[in-house]
Amino acid sequence: MEPRKFWIRTIAIHLGLIAWCVVAVYPLLRIFSVSLRPGDRLMSTDLSLIPADATFAAYWNVLTDTNFFMWLYNSLLITIVTSLIGLTIASAAGYAFSRFRFPGSRLGMMALLGTQMIPAGMLLLPLFIMLVKLKLTNSYLGLVIAYSVSSVAFSIWILKGYYDTVPRSLEEAAMVDGTSQIGAFWRIILPLSTPSLAIAFLFNFTMAWNEYIVARVVLQRPELYTWTLGVFELQGQYTTQWGMFCAASIMVTLPVMALFLYSSKWLLSGLTLGGVKG
Amino acid sequence: MMQIINSLIEVLSFVVLVLAGVAVIELAIFGSFQLFAPRSRNRLPIMMVTPAFVGLLLLIGYPIIFEAYIAFTNLNLATIGEWARGGSLQFVGLKNFIDVFTEPPMQETGFFGLLGRTLLWTFVNVFFHLIGGLIIALLLNNKIRMRGFYRMLIIIPWAMPQVVAVLAWRGEFHSQFGFINIMLGHVADVFPFLASLGVGPLNWMSEHAFAMCCIVNIWLGIPFMAVIILGGLQSISPSFYAAAKIDGAGAWQRFRYITIPLLKPVVAPAITMGTIWTFNNITVIYLLTGQGGGTERADILVSALYKAAFNFFRYGYAAAFAFVIFILLMAFSLVWMKLSKAYEEVY
Repeated sequence: MEPRKFWIRTIAIHLGLIAWCVVAVYPLLRIFSVSLRPGDRLMSTDLSLIPADATFAAYWNVLTDTNFFMWLYNSLLITIVTSLIGLTIASAAGYAFSRFRFPGSRLGMMALLGTQMIPAGMLLLPLFIMLVKLKLTNSYLGLVIAYSVSSVAFSIWILKGYYDTVPRSLEEAAMVDGTSQIGAFWRIILPLSTPSLAIAFLFNFTMAWNEYIVARVVLQRPELYTWTLGVFELQGQYTTQWGMFCAASIMVTLPVMALFLYSSKWLLSGLTLGGVKG
Repeated sequence: MMQIINSLIEVLSFVVLVLAGVAVIELAIFGSFQLFAPRSRNRLPIMMVTPAFVGLLLLIGYPIIFEAYIAFTNLNLATIGEWARGGSLQFVGLKNFIDVFTEPPMQETGFFGLLGRTLLWTFVNVFFHLIGGLIIALLLNNKIRMRGFYRMLIIIPWAMPQVVAVLAWRGEFHSQFGFINIMLGHVADVFPFLASLGVGPLNWMSEHAFAMCCIVNIWLGIPFMAVIILGGLQSISPSFYAAAKIDGAGAWQRFRYITIPLLKPVVAPAITMGTIWTFNNITVIYLLTGQGGGTERADILVSALYKAAFNFFRYGYAAAFAFVIFILLMAFSLVWMKLSKAYEEVY
């Protein structure tokens, strides 16, 4: 390619990518900028990134005037329990689907795929009414139960996809050396699968951590709010709390995003191995 | 402090309960295999799979049967309290199912209006996710500087918690203080001829709610497609392109006859998943329009279902509505899977 054409091409590529990056990052920058505004200037048509008299007052207000730490604690507890339960059950089931043909194995995998098709709203209504009947609304358990539904099915798919890539000869060798099939799974396959277990855990974690729609229905008592509910409460129709909403969002978003971006390489490889296998 | 201790007790006792349940199930399976088929090779896989499926049966199978029951009753806000205390429910026959087609789930839009909007919503979103994702993936699939940096920034809409991202956009669409209208106002000031064509601050929250929801959801979904397509592009061997170049194929021909066919096995399942996710997407529409005074001009079937159940408390009606949606979705999926055979090689 002649050099001039090459340069035009390279510049065009960079411009295209920069354009999308600006669009992708802009909302985050705006939240950050609003979170720095002093309380009396929240409603403003000012578009500058760092406002003239920037202040961290909104952050301080969030930490002292709201239940911010309680929200984080609630979210964390629900999320971790959901992910662990889902992962434990799914790691065994995924292995069985990967290594054995047994009566109903094909049907089982299809049923798992089918569960992804059920509209969330469809399951939510009977689950909610069952929780009302069992007096489990306004409890951590209600949410843990509701989230486990999606986490188990999804984890089985991811883990089965990973187990499929581990050669069978590893277990066969271990079994020749005298361990049982379950021993081979426990001592050979599970330790080898640590990366995919981490991927499945992270997926379940982010899914439950960021969930709003179900939590809004199950939890009504403010002291049980997860952070999504709490942050949503802060966001009124451009009231004085808009700055606090932005500050709280930034404080929650940055660590989660850092985790996601840091692990994105593995997350994506896990996604292509399991759910959407090319 | 009390709350933290109570919460730990609550959660730990639940974990113990689940473990005990699993142990009972495993023992039962083990025992029955010992009794009836001691030499069967299916014992281990069945034992490994059963806890998951018992869980799914309890959490999906049973609720769906229960929902079928609710769909034939008059359960709503007025009757749920007494019923929860042990009262009985009144059967109303097929009334709820007839109402689905004759009565709007909220206040204005009826079933067929919502269905049309759902199809439009799904098509517009998946189409732009695909186009946007393809463009970005093609741009990223070049040897350029700062590629890793771009790659990281590009997936930010996906990495951000959806609640934060959507609420931030909600602020940007504010009629007076949002970025979009401020910019549209400037554009109209600078180019008066555009203003006469109708460019200018718009009332997004009420009049153009559907366009607003589409814009936000397209923004959210592009990174996923871009990443999937980029993975597909990188798996295409450069020797195909080299060979085609020698045979005299132009850039468009190489794209049309190498890139597109070889991307198909990666993109087809992603489109299937994307279609299902988009069709079932409540979060974006609810967060943008679901608060007090929100419009229903942007609602699709699932968000209408959610609002009917949890804003208007029409449980029986919503249950019937859910079944109609589910049957529709199943029919679409079966037709699509027959057409694309996307999942043929998955199992």
